[in-house]
Amino acid sequence: MSDATGTAPAPVRSIGVRMPLVDGPEKVSGKALYTADFIAREELTGRILRSPVAHARIARIDVSAAEALPGVHAVVTGADCADTFGVLPIAMNEYALARDRVRYRGEAVAAVAAEDTATAQRALDAIEIEYEELPAYFTAEDARGPDAVQLHEERPGNIEREVDFEIGDTGAGFAAADLVREETYQLNEVCQVQSEPHAAQAEYDAGRGKITVRASTQVPYYVHLMLARTLGMEQSDIRVIKPHVGGGFGCRTEALHVELVAALLARKARGTVRLVLSREETFITHRGRQETEVKLKIGMTREGRITAVECESVHRAGGYSGYGIVTILYNGSMLFAIYDLENVKYKGFRVLTNMPPPGAFRGHGTVNIRFAFESLMDAMADELGLDPFAVRRANLMSAPGFTANDLMVNSYGLPECLDIVEKASGWKERKGKLGPNRGLGMACSHYISGASKPKHWTGEPHATIHLRVDWDASVTLLTGAAEIGQGSSTVLAQCVAEVLGIDVSRIAVVASDSALTPKDNGSYSSRVTYMVGNAAIDAANNLKALLIEAAARKLEVRPEDVECLGDVYRAGTQDEGLSWKEVVMAALEGTGTLAVKGTFDTIPESWGGRKYRGAAIGGTMAFAYSALVCEVEVDPETCEIRVEKVWVAHDCGKALNPLSVEGQIEGSVWMGMGQALSEETRYHDGLGITGNMLDYRVPTIVESPPIETHIVESADPHGPFGAKEAGETSLANFLPALTSAVADAVGVRATELPLTPDRLMGLLEKRETERRVAARAAGGDA
Amino acid sequence: MELMPAMTLERPGTIEDAVRLRSRGEGAKYLAGGTDMVVNIRRGIERPTALVDLTGIAELNGIAAGPEGIDIGAAVALSEVAAHEAVRRDYRAVAEAAAEVAGPTHRNYGTVGGNLCLDTRCLFYNQSEWWRKSNDYCLKHRGEVCHVAPGGKRCFAAFSGDLAPAALVHGAEVTLAGPDGRRRVTLDALYRNDGMDHLTLEEGELLVALHLPERTAGIPSGYRKSRIRGSIDFPLAGVAAALAMEGDRVASLDIALTAVNPYPHRVTKIDGLVGAPLGGDALDDLRDAVRTQAKPMRTTTVQPWYRRRVVGAMARRLVAELAGEGS
Repeated sequence: MSDATGTAPAPVRSIGVRMPLVDGPEKVSGKALYTADFIAREELTGRILRSPVAHARIARIDVSAAEALPGVHAVVTGADCADTFGVLPIAMNEYALARDRVRYRGEAVAAVAAEDTATAQRALDAIEIEYEELPAYFTAEDARGPDAVQLHEERPGNIEREVDFEIGDTGAGFAAADLVREETYQLNEVCQVQSEPHAAQAEYDAGRGKITVRASTQVPYYVHLMLARTLGMEQSDIRVIKPHVGGGFGCRTEALHVELVAALLARKARGTVRLVLSREETFITHRGRQETEVKLKIGMTREGRITAVECESVHRAGGYSGYGIVTILYNGSMLFAIYDLENVKYKGFRVLTNMPPPGAFRGHGTVNIRFAFESLMDAMADELGLDPFAVRRANLMSAPGFTANDLMVNSYGLPECLDIVEKASGWKERKGKLGPNRGLGMACSHYISGASKPKHWTGEPHATIHLRVDWDASVTLLTGAAEIGQGSSTVLAQCVAEVLGIDVSRIAVVASDSALTPKDNGSYSSRVTYMVGNAAIDAANNLKALLIEAAARKLEVRPEDVECLGDVYRAGTQDEGLSWKEVVMAALEGTGTLAVKGTFDTIPESWGGRKYRGAAIGGTMAFAYSALVCEVEVDPETCEIRVEKVWVAHDCGKALNPLSVEGQIEGSVWMGMGQALSEETRYHDGLGITGNMLDYRVPTIVESPPIETHIVESADPHGPFGAKEAGETSLANFLPALTSAVADAVGVRATELPLTPDRLMGLLEKRETERRVAARAAGGDA
Repeated sequence: MELMPAMTLERPGTIEDAVRLRSRGEGAKYLAGGTDMVVNIRRGIERPTALVDLTGIAELNGIAAGPEGIDIGAAVALSEVAAHEAVRRDYRAVAEAAAEVAGPTHRNYGTVGGNLCLDTRCLFYNQSEWWRKSNDYCLKHRGEVCHVAPGGKRCFAAFSGDLAPAALVHGAEVTLAGPDGRRRVTLDALYRNDGMDHLTLEEGELLVALHLPERTAGIPSGYRKSRIRGSIDFPLAGVAAALAMEGDRVASLDIALTAVNPYPHRVTKIDGLVGAPLGGDALDDLRDAVRTQAKPMRTTTVQPWYRRRVVGAMARRLVAELAGEGS
């Protein structure tokens, strides 16, 4: 069946092709349904009562007046849910609704389901609670104080986790250094501020004792697990659906109280409950990046070679564990795998305080450490008279290989990233020659492509994909991977389309419905493209093998003689071949609907080391790399910083969809810009004062600089078509590049973020004072 | 998004009807663009039983240029003021200030009257009902303590309108209408130094029009605003100035500030600069006068000392720029 012109049909290429996201049309036309858009015919409004105090024993809760109100169908409190939840099996200490004790202002204490919002609010107002207040701690230092009351019995000293390791010999390393410098860095707590506030809808089937929950989540499977645990229901009686999600960036990589409370209410009300959080409640739910103090010491030779590193990281965590243990471990492990480091000492303290719990914000566990590391490296290069690029090049690794802490690195495109941004930004010609108050800065960063060891070890593969082909010759891809706007459904469709050689529009993607789709751990740690993408390729290859076998039977040739051209399967160039539809029908003969599976698993070499407790954290199949140059202009009088331009090169292995990769890089840079320049959550005695989009200052399009993205393709040997992470790496390096550029412009290097105009003015005035004091000491009279 | 309470909405066609509807019962409020008011309603700060929407009143909706100057109706959108040719030419500070308010959509909805009568702002006040209740409310609303200055008996919430200082340096007046008829006062007289009650409007009074007088038309003027983001943000500090020169000497100089006091503040004690050349020392004096009279408190997350420093720096720079234009 060759076409009329006589040229041979060719498989359609999908990989490496710039294409819009498969779910784009619904989103831009407003047709996409998000969780809050599901409005049942008879539904109740859920609403949550939150603690006004930061730390207290709950002496009494009386809900009788609320229950007695007409129109109120259910009131739930901690008494309705005795089981804890949490994302790490070793740290489940949170309740859907506080039991006996509240640990931060805004913690959910009770909830109601009523016929309308006004009635729900009246019911909340009618709930009586007596709190016996306890001392509350709003800083890591206070919570670690000698007489501090413990937030949790099993966490002595309010330390969620202490990490302590030394790899190599730092003593010898520092002794071998020509320059040793130490600095302390203060990093701001930041929130994701994704466009969609948290929401859940729970529909309880009272007759069958089953429940269906729709939730705005990145991890439907973890939500499923926690629903079963907290409701005390069989997992098979629960269905979890993830509708369209308006961004996550890590704030939804664990089950939240939102979906659990909605389910508790629905079951008690024996109906359907819709619970939509306000923006303020979404801020309170938090799971952003924690406030961090990093003390860093680096030893360097005259040539810029790092001889030893000593790092201490202290996190101000919240009232509950969340991902905390992983975060504090990442801070240590991610010191490695970007530069060649032999001697590293790390101490980490994750401290529980009476604040909303932070979580796994984009760039989880690396961003704050990277800021400190790149900043100090730059300052030392300055002191040694070395160019910032030269000092990075002096410390490059070689791949393939393993880091000193046993992390597997198979592809390493950082050298090329450096070359590209150095050239594109005109660094050599322009650095130091931009005139007053203008400056250039650069920095590097890296990130994992999924954690190689899953949090819940079950023995199952990391990822599973189902493909279904039926009589209509359509291909349906079923995945549990959570599309949250990052393009996972698109990239999976592309992988399958590429293997089969058919147009991507012929693949229908069904995602994240536990009744239909295979289990998936979810969208976090940049795991989906790598792991689920590989599973999709495996599934497509399995399908293709069936189709080739069917074609071989039909064409009466051996399977290895069948050539798959996408729409045509033939046995030699003279053969007219079989159409796709004919092949499918042949494959269905005697067996019916094709249901094919593909899986992916990580290899043991990627599981990280055993040199210290928690050394598996950081283990991944591949690291992605990024180098970034940032140009700024500073107004010396108002101290406003304007980012003029950003050049960024990102080694993502292979850009499966360059359009999507560029979008991810730009988004990362932009989010880094928020943390560097303007975003910070602030509190008044534990009460968030920036819980809205006016006082929490996410940059606007006015601040958005031109971002020139360059893609580097180092072709990872295990990645899907060579691909690896693309959506997180280029966030961390913006922070130090920005402060370096400001240092280049006005001569002061910030160690505290965000670098708002008041902070920069403070630094400039401090320098001025120091100059005067120095001049006076030198005998001048200035 | 917080709960929107049930209320009635009135849309009168005349000012007299509006005043009558507003005075009819307890709990009615005037509404124009609603960009600030509706947020405050959702937060339970305002709890109106009725809203009297002023945007359908023709008299409030036009910009009229005449021999005595320009009259701008209170319901005119800020984007219209910013784009108005005569305003841009003759009262540039006013056009610049209108263009600096919040973001484009706010300016399409937000009005001149709304921006001039904007409620004062404070981190302890512009919060949800749950938040304020959890913090024992505050002096400005339902509470007894000022969290900005505990122990103080005054409210330091900052007036944060952009338009007022610009109109002040042009010697603007306003017409007000109320149950007892109309009156015309200087814009200065609309404000008092009290964050809890910063407007001198009588009960039921509404702002009808802003008058920019002919005598200040064409005087070089401008408005500068400090903020963290280039869009959306209220001013951390704002300064407007109008400077007339005669040769190399100052003929008149007016400076007004916003967001650093509970009311838009006209800078005083700069008369000494009039009649003299505007050299570096004079500009420094001016900057210092501005810094002395700006009294920012911890009403935003940005340090008060910075807001004081920056408002002085902006004033100095703005006046120097205006002097450059005039010469």
